[in-house]
Amino acid sequence: MNIDNEFAWRNELRKLGGAAEPQRDLWPQIAARMAVRPATQRWRMGLGLAATLALGFGVATLAWRTQSANTIPIAVTATAHGATSMAADNAPLAWAVPANPALATASRELDGASVQLQQALEQQPQAVFLVGLLNRTNAQRMRLLRQAPSV
Amino acid sequence: MDGLALTADVPIADLPARDADAALVRRAVGGEVAAFEQLYRRHAGRVHGAILRLVGMDRARAEELTQDAFVQAWRKLGSFRFESAFATWLHRLGVNIALMDLRIRRDEDAMGDDDLQAAAGGEVPFCAAERGDLERAVAALPTRARAVLVLHDVEGFKHEEISAELGMAVGSSKAQLHRARGLLRRALADR
Repeated sequence: MNIDNEFAWRNELRKLGGAAEPQRDLWPQIAARMAVRPATQRWRMGLGLAATLALGFGVATLAWRTQSANTIPIAVTATAHGATSMAADNAPLAWAVPANPALATASRELDGASVQLQQALEQQPQAVFLVGLLNRTNAQRMRLLRQAPSV
Repeated sequence: MDGLALTADVPIADLPARDADAALVRRAVGGEVAAFEQLYRRHAGRVHGAILRLVGMDRARAEELTQDAFVQAWRKLGSFRFESAFATWLHRLGVNIALMDLRIRRDEDAMGDDDLQAAAGGEVPFCAAERGDLERAVAALPTRARAVLVLHDVEGFKHEEISAELGMAVGSSKAQLHRARGLLRRALADR
């Protein structure tokens, strides 16, 4: 078949288009990569957590300074110490990783956040807002564990 | 949102392609990996085909870039606004991934339009080849000339879109296309 005009030329090239299936199934590797959070996202999460901690620390410091003019916040201090010991008892649930890769990633993120919060609490045992964050993180982790069967 | 209400109780297989895609995207955005796998099964061939032609029929590279495209799609799925068809959005994403790969090979950038005209040669009559011959001839074209020819003549992009994607002037895109067609005619005439 000879083609020597523009229309036929375009038509022949257009026929090259369309689907061409890969020679192997790419899905297993795609699924494995989907479960890994990209480095930039991890960095942003870390930055977000740091910003939250800094903001919370600022608010807590302001609140403490305001209250310390009158009385020492005995109840708050006691709560913070109580919660600190509770946090120490609440070791990360690293042994209970959900079978679903997406949920497993989320559970690892929560475990990591929990460890970081406990470390921050050791540094700042009077920071009540950290106790709240830690309790919320642990509650989310427990919810995840209840929703998805572990490996 | 109306689409979601309409399609909630209908099996995916019974929906028109665009509605089925939209329903699967909504489920995938909600974290359902199985829904995204269905999207992969439905569209892998088209995305891989476009990438394969752009990278000059290098199958290993095309498979690697196709994986990249779907991983990117998973991460960006939340930004899909349902204003265009998911297939179009995904195809564009795959083409962009392949073009980013091609941008690394900038060995021809210094070539001017006059050089491109000369390289294209005269009007050599084109004898159509079998599909395989044509694919091989396209694959053997220089990287940027091939990218412009595939985008314009195979994938249906406009010169304005090509120039934006490849970071070149519209005139350069036209010159590259002229050059690519000339080289292709010559390659097929020499068979």
